[in-house]
Amino acid sequence: MLSHLPDLLQGTLDLLILKSLAPAPLHGWAISKRIQQMSSDVLTVNQGSLYPALYRLEDRGWIASKPALSPEGRRIKVYRLTAAGRRQLSHEIDAWRHFARAVDQLVAT
Amino acid sequence: MTAVTRWMRRILLVVRGRSVEQSMDDELRYHIECEVAERVNAGQPPAAARLAALRDFGGLESVKEEARDARGTRRVEDFLGDLRNAVRVLRRNGGVTTAAVLTFALGIGAAGAIFCVVYGVLLRPLPYKDPGRLVAVWEHNIPRNRDRNVVSVANFEAWRDRNQVFEGMAALVPRPVTLVDGDIPERVMGAEVSAGYFRLLGVTPFLGRDFNAEDAAADRDTVVLSHGFWMRRFGGDPSVVGRRLQVSGKPHTVAGVMPASFEPPRFGWLVVQDLWFPFAGTPENRAWGRFLLVVARLRPHTSLENARAEMAVLGQQLAGESPANKGWGITVVSLAEQITGDVRTALVIVLAAAGLLFVIAVTNVATLMLSLLRRRAQELATRRAIGASDRRLFWQLWTESGLLGACGTAVGFMTLIPGVRVLLSLAPPDVPRLESIRLDAPILAAVAAIACLAIAVFGAVAAAFGRSAAVSFRPLTGSDARTSPRAGGATLVAAEIAVALALGVMATLMVRSFASLRAVDLGFATDGVVAARVSLVGPRTESPASLHAFFETLLERVRTLPGVQSAGLISTRPFGGLGPATEASDPMQPEGTATRSAVADIRWVDTTLFQTLRIPVLRGRTFDSTEASGTPHVVISESMADALWPQQNPLGRRLHLDLYNGITVEVLGIVRDVYLMDPRTPVRPVAYLSDARFPSETRDVVVRVNGDPGAVVPFLRSVLAALEPDVPLFQVTTMPDLVDRTVASDRFTTFLLSAFAGVALLLGGVGVFGVISSDVARRRKEIGIRMALGATASTVVLMMVKQALLRASIGVGCGGALALVAAYSMRSLLFGVPPTDPLSFLLVATALLSLATVATLVPAAQALRSSPVTSLREG
Repeated sequence: MLSHLPDLLQGTLDLLILKSLAPAPLHGWAISKRIQQMSSDVLTVNQGSLYPALYRLEDRGWIASKPALSPEGRRIKVYRLTAAGRRQLSHEIDAWRHFARAVDQLVAT
Repeated sequence: MTAVTRWMRRILLVVRGRSVEQSMDDELRYHIECEVAERVNAGQPPAAARLAALRDFGGLESVKEEARDARGTRRVEDFLGDLRNAVRVLRRNGGVTTAAVLTFALGIGAAGAIFCVVYGVLLRPLPYKDPGRLVAVWEHNIPRNRDRNVVSVANFEAWRDRNQVFEGMAALVPRPVTLVDGDIPERVMGAEVSAGYFRLLGVTPFLGRDFNAEDAAADRDTVVLSHGFWMRRFGGDPSVVGRRLQVSGKPHTVAGVMPASFEPPRFGWLVVQDLWFPFAGTPENRAWGRFLLVVARLRPHTSLENARAEMAVLGQQLAGESPANKGWGITVVSLAEQITGDVRTALVIVLAAAGLLFVIAVTNVATLMLSLLRRRAQELATRRAIGASDRRLFWQLWTESGLLGACGTAVGFMTLIPGVRVLLSLAPPDVPRLESIRLDAPILAAVAAIACLAIAVFGAVAAAFGRSAAVSFRPLTGSDARTSPRAGGATLVAAEIAVALALGVMATLMVRSFASLRAVDLGFATDGVVAARVSLVGPRTESPASLHAFFETLLERVRTLPGVQSAGLISTRPFGGLGPATEASDPMQPEGTATRSAVADIRWVDTTLFQTLRIPVLRGRTFDSTEASGTPHVVISESMADALWPQQNPLGRRLHLDLYNGITVEVLGIVRDVYLMDPRTPVRPVAYLSDARFPSETRDVVVRVNGDPGAVVPFLRSVLAALEPDVPLFQVTTMPDLVDRTVASDRFTTFLLSAFAGVALLLGGVGVFGVISSDVARRRKEIGIRMALGATASTVVLMMVKQALLRASIGVGCGGALALVAAYSMRSLLFGVPPTDPLSFLLVATALLSLATVATLVPAAQALRSSPVTSLREG
């Protein structure tokens, strides 16, 4: 668990959320599970920062929410990626690759 | 997502506040449930799992708070909070709020309504195709300096055929006709128009066709009707096309009907155009002299300057080619300017006055806001002390101003429609384009923009003042840290006095001008006189004798009517429009003498006209029944006698007139000068010829009665109908009404300026009083100290009056300069009063200084009446 790396997560949280929503719409808890799962349990999103991030992305228009019912019949919100969000995701991926390559080079020397 | 949709979403979230909160709560709780369920599945006991999940999640409330911030709705919520607070503040100070809202609404309503009228008349494009390219073309009489002279047929044809700058050119001439269709004959104003007139303006007929080349070339028995006339006279019957109408005794075929949207251009003599006839040049009308109005359309991409330059060259060529064109040039003006030129200055001045009134209203709102803030200094200081940032404070004050302004604007908008309606009912009938005045989107947008600008101004003043009040207020002692008199208040007082002075001077000048216009001695007595026009058709017009006999009989019968004192004939009544004018010369004086010739207006009168209008005979006598034969005589006006025979006896002299191919007449008498056009146009030399000697089918019958002149009109009609049933009586007016109409636009301007000045004085007075009295109230402590130290009441009052007068004098000084600019720009409206009229300036300045003094004395007296001890204790 790398939850004690807040700076890294802060910058990349948007990328992680957008990426996790790329295949299919999910509700909040499922997003955090999907990130954990996709990163082979390396990255865990702190719930305290997940929901503010979701609301911020929604305000920017990158994701959209829809009221839905959970299997248990509870009222929840399901988030999906918007067209603008898809564009933003590819930007974020490019930026991340750029950043990661630079750090790789730095570490390799 | 665009900024707009994002803000829409944020606002929506705020509006649905409770359900948004609920769904966030649901969502977070569900997250925890899922977390618990996962731990239980992994084998933890439920209670421990829940505890661990909650611990991992962190504080629920702090997460919620962070999430709320992330929603981006904080600013919307702040604004709503400010708005609620503003509503509370304004409601708590209901009196001040109502005063401010009404003042602002008054300013918006007055300025907006005037703007609507000015926009409709001056700025809205003319209702024709590509109206910017339409011009009016005139002959320019260079020696007499008349640049808008009507045009001769020969010159119109030369211009039309030889210019390179116009796409098309058309000529018009008014043609009043008598229409007989059914029982009642009707006099209708029509116009003859040359081929292509309608196409030039870009209108196509609603029914039938307009004129083609053959109409003009062959016989002229076709007529095109206006939509209004067609509706009124034929009830909108489409079968009217092809029908034959009796027009002035001749059958005409209706060729078509113009659309309802067609408003013929109103300029020159063309006021009403109910129907149109084809016009073409003939050898006969080419010899008539100048009588045409000409409109033209510039070629695309040709400027007015180009057209002027080319027409100037053409004018010089024509002047060289024909002796009739010697001393004549060509004037080209845009059609819009031609139509509205006469009322432009008056409307712009009224608009400027409305603008000044608006400035006073806005200043007054600002003073009211300041007095409100002064009372709230403690509240603002407290807010600041417990942590409100300057930015939050600023936005809150802005919201208050904005709310106040929005209410004022809303009320102002509601007064716009009745305001415009009132203006239209007051507007003089000769204002052109009244039909294009309407409240529509561009006008409402412009008014709203001006309102926003004004709100920005007093909002900024209020925000700046409120902040400084909050900073300098000492919450502990409840006093203001500053001791110097407030600069803001002084500036407002000076500004209000300056603007009120300018408005006051404008109104006073206009009132004095109107008074001197009404005081002009017209040279004849109007009371009890009614005039009506008769245009004879039929067999009696065939010989001069039968014409004369008809009018003699008509007058004889009119004279027997009850209440009629006398009745006479004149070719065109005074104030009834332009009549013919011609060159009059004394053949006995050598060529080149200054007094040899003069331009004289010609009027034909019968034996009783001078008596009926009470025009005094100064020397000699007027026409009598012997005039029908022998040497023709002329009666001349005083200024005619002065022009040709100064200090000599004109009686019995011979006069050559350029009429009827040149006639020589003998001077029979001299009568007093009479204003023939309007009271502004100086009197001109007039030569009166005898109607018995030179009869005509069209004459004005002038009747003087005892009592109400209007009452005799039905009798006049029946007398005429008994004589000639197919001849209508038209242009029936009493002389007082006619004179009144010529000063109607002066009355309109005078009324509006006086109303604005009155309101401005009232608002300015209230504003000045408000600022000064709150200032005095603030200084009660100081007054108390001064009194306690031995100052007498009179020294204290004197000190305060001196201060107030100093501020007011600054205002009077600035306002004087402003008033001078305003007065000079309205000098073409003024009659008999110079724009620098000292009386007007002194009067208004004195009034305003007295107002400032009274505004100081009342609160000062109040402050003195309370005992020094109380004032000191109250602070």
